[in-house]
Amino acid sequence: MNVMGEDFETDFWKEVNDRATWDMIVPGELRETRPVTLTKKIIQDFARKVGEDNPLYFDEEYAKSTPYGGIVAPPSIHILLMFACTTSKDWMRSPGTINAGQNWYYNAPIRPDDTITMRGTALDKFIKKDRLFAVHENLFTNQHGQVVCTGRGQTIRPV
Amino acid sequence: MNAKENYERIQTGDVVEGRAFTVTTETIQDFGDASLDYNPLHFDPNWMEKNDFGGTSFNGVIMHGMQNFALITRTLTDWLVPRGGYHRRLETRWIKPVKLGDTITPEAKVIRKNPTDGGHWVQFEVIVKNQHGEPVATGQALAEFRDTIPA
Repeated sequence: MNVMGEDFETDFWKEVNDRATWDMIVPGELRETRPVTLTKKIIQDFARKVGEDNPLYFDEEYAKSTPYGGIVAPPSIHILLMFACTTSKDWMRSPGTINAGQNWYYNAPIRPDDTITMRGTALDKFIKKDRLFAVHENLFTNQHGQVVCTGRGQTIRPV
Repeated sequence: MNAKENYERIQTGDVVEGRAFTVTTETIQDFGDASLDYNPLHFDPNWMEKNDFGGTSFNGVIMHGMQNFALITRTLTDWLVPRGGYHRRLETRWIKPVKLGDTITPEAKVIRKNPTDGGHWVQFEVIVKNQHGEPVATGQALAEFRDTIPA
């Protein structure tokens, strides 16, 4: 079972025709997003399944003894947020979308029960050789309006 | 120890060895369940056999590129936390697809230390290699040494 529970649609073919193709992606346009609350269970399920075992994410007593002052999410939690905060019609779900590289900056740690809001756009699109690329840009903030992380990535769009 | 002392203990040339990771259908399922990325690239061997991605045929499912990203993050954070450093940035490029049965190992190396007006920063060069010693991902990372947690 995925970390967000059974409501998440795991069949990426289902709404394939509702998703923007490369031609339809408009750089600068906002992607539809929704806020997500990350419980301790979600954070720990995510951490375990991506291979994390640092007690900073699992052991409250240990985490309290560190400067973090309690359990936090691994920085890589944005990998989950990219899909948890977007809708099933989002073009990042198009079958055949190939990740070509990413860069992420981490500002503040995410803690259990934080509610995270995503602002996402396609920043740019281009063609290199015969491949269609889209550049996506994302900003995640917590319930205090504080930036938690920002990131940019490139995907090769399916044709 | 304060941030400056922690920073001074880091040496250019320090090597951070990651743990080896073998890709199985189970690790791919776990990563899908963690990331919610259920792209058939990672789950549908039949589709992958017949699909030609603009001239690149993968002949089978491939590991999520972001699994590399997560393993590099693990390598860096596990090393930095006990040393008083904070993982602040990671940039990655995928060089070669990773397939079922491959074993990949990340490694990071301190390449430069940069004191700024307000902080103490360390640059890492990152490489992930497969069992043949071929690079599958490369990257750069930044850590900061500071007295309080970021933000």
